[in-house]
Amino acid sequence: MLIQILNGLVYGGLIYIVSVGLVLIFGLRRVVNFAHGGFYMLGAYAGYTAAIVLGFWGGLLASVVILAVIGIALDYVVFRPLQNADHMVTVLVTFGILLVFEDAVHMIWGADSISVAAPYPFDGTIQIGEIAFPVYRLLVIAVALAVAAGLTLWLRYSRAGLYVRASSVDALTTGMQGVDTERLSLAVVGLGAALAGLSGVIASPLLALSPSMGSSILIESFIVVVTGGLGSFAGAFVAAIIIGQVHNLGIVYVPNVASMLPLLLMVAVLIWKPTGFARSYI
Amino acid sequence: MSQVSLIRPAQETRIVTSDISLLALGILVVVLGFTLPWLGLSRNLLSLLTSATTTAILATGVGFLVRQSGLSSFGHAGFYGGAAYLVVLMSVYTGLPGEFIVLAAPVIAAFVSLLLAFVLLRTSGVAFSMLSLAVAQALFELMMRWREIANGEDGLRLRLPRELFGLKLSFFQKADTMFLVSWTCLVLIVIGLVLLTRSRFGTLALAIKNNEERARFIGYRTLMPRAIVLALSGLIAAIGGTLFALYNGYVTPGLLHWSLSGEALVIAIIGGTRSVWGPALGAFIFVILRDVAGNYTTHWQMIVGLALIVVVLLLPKGVSGAVSTFVKRFGRARNA
Repeated sequence: MLIQILNGLVYGGLIYIVSVGLVLIFGLRRVVNFAHGGFYMLGAYAGYTAAIVLGFWGGLLASVVILAVIGIALDYVVFRPLQNADHMVTVLVTFGILLVFEDAVHMIWGADSISVAAPYPFDGTIQIGEIAFPVYRLLVIAVALAVAAGLTLWLRYSRAGLYVRASSVDALTTGMQGVDTERLSLAVVGLGAALAGLSGVIASPLLALSPSMGSSILIESFIVVVTGGLGSFAGAFVAAIIIGQVHNLGIVYVPNVASMLPLLLMVAVLIWKPTGFARSYI
Repeated sequence: MSQVSLIRPAQETRIVTSDISLLALGILVVVLGFTLPWLGLSRNLLSLLTSATTTAILATGVGFLVRQSGLSSFGHAGFYGGAAYLVVLMSVYTGLPGEFIVLAAPVIAAFVSLLLAFVLLRTSGVAFSMLSLAVAQALFELMMRWREIANGEDGLRLRLPRELFGLKLSFFQKADTMFLVSWTCLVLIVIGLVLLTRSRFGTLALAIKNNEERARFIGYRTLMPRAIVLALSGLIAAIGGTLFALYNGYVTPGLLHWSLSGEALVIAIIGGTRSVWGPALGAFIFVILRDVAGNYTTHWQMIVGLALIVVVLLLPKGVSGAVSTFVKRFGRARNA
């Protein structure tokens, strides 16, 4: 049982890192970024290729940097010019980008799934009770917690974090107070994309790489973001942990309907509270 | 949405003179469609156009919802594939007459979408898109996992008697005849929707789309019109799915997957949702583009993605918007 809960935490941690990137981007640009699944996938593949030369950790770093650049480019080329258009239009553009990314990965790396070994020194197992548990999974939980703690501290206590919170509530007024929201979005979308890259690399020893990995995690992250309340960081954290547990316990105890459970949970939460767990932003 | 649209009428609801050339063009296209099977097209092209027509019906349903309610559904594959599954499941597991099955499937789907509307419409904007996606995806998972009934990933084959509405079943499974059936359905749906959008109900739906609170303020109930628009749009998608099941004779869970819903929305946007016929036009462009691209490269997905980005950025009113601007300008130049 403890093992199942830990596994649920691993999965929850992973979708948390993806989802929180979505939340960051939604906060500033009011756009649900379909390309995020593409970022996650591209991050995994970029990390995999860079790791051949730089090793796993070098690959991780390279992937985060590459994705941050792509995110900044996305904000500059797509979000900024389209900020006065209907948000749905921008969403559809990001959907188009997802299609392009999926096909590009298909073209470059092929359709076969690739597995990645857990990096040294986290490739062993640890004895928990009577079961050997991979150390790497604990590392994933630790990384997710570190991301959550880091983001919270940054948002609460730094000036930039204050600006991000303010723009998430009302970008126009924040701009009038003298904050350059355009530059801020550039950084925040870059950060969101970098987190997607990070989660992609972190996920690669757990789940195999394949060109469809992006869309499957994308759906789960949408569920997390919407159940948690669009634009809410704390909501996303709580929702990710719950969905991770539901997902994992579902696979163990009711394998037939496991993949439906998170969807049903989301429907139930939205019927109960159309705005998600968290009423307000942040 | 924007402040401007509140003061100006959101869409022209009266027929103006420059519309006449557009109407003439429309009649020409409809007549051309009915003569298509006798034009000596290759079997493949005709079959492609037949599937494009069912896709066009699906996209028309999705586009109608965007146009009348401003809601972008990422779950219409649920109605489309749901109706297709209903036809096949009823044909396999019940002894009901084929005519009843074919007529009942879209009606059941429409009824379900009316019930769902009261849940889905509690949300709006992005949350609506995600919720509709979740509902359809749940249906996908159900058909995928339920091996005993729906045969999972492999799908199911249609089992109908040899005759339907006094016609041989093969009439519905050959491209040249089925094209006429689908084309008739598409034309009737588009005409019906054009009349509906020009009716009092259509205007009310637009008013609610622009500002629900004000519509309530001047004394209208707003939930029911919104639910009816959603149910109609589900009905249209379901008609498309029923035709698909009849023509192809089998269903797979792919018909319910969210990528099909996304595709339908993409088609509707490429075609343009300001006009009722835009999404249908988008479907023909999309299906033909995909087929042509598929002949040269396996990377049609990238082409579709790029086409979507380009159209959204360069033609914000969609292809249909560009066409009507062009036709109106052409008509005006001739009148002058």
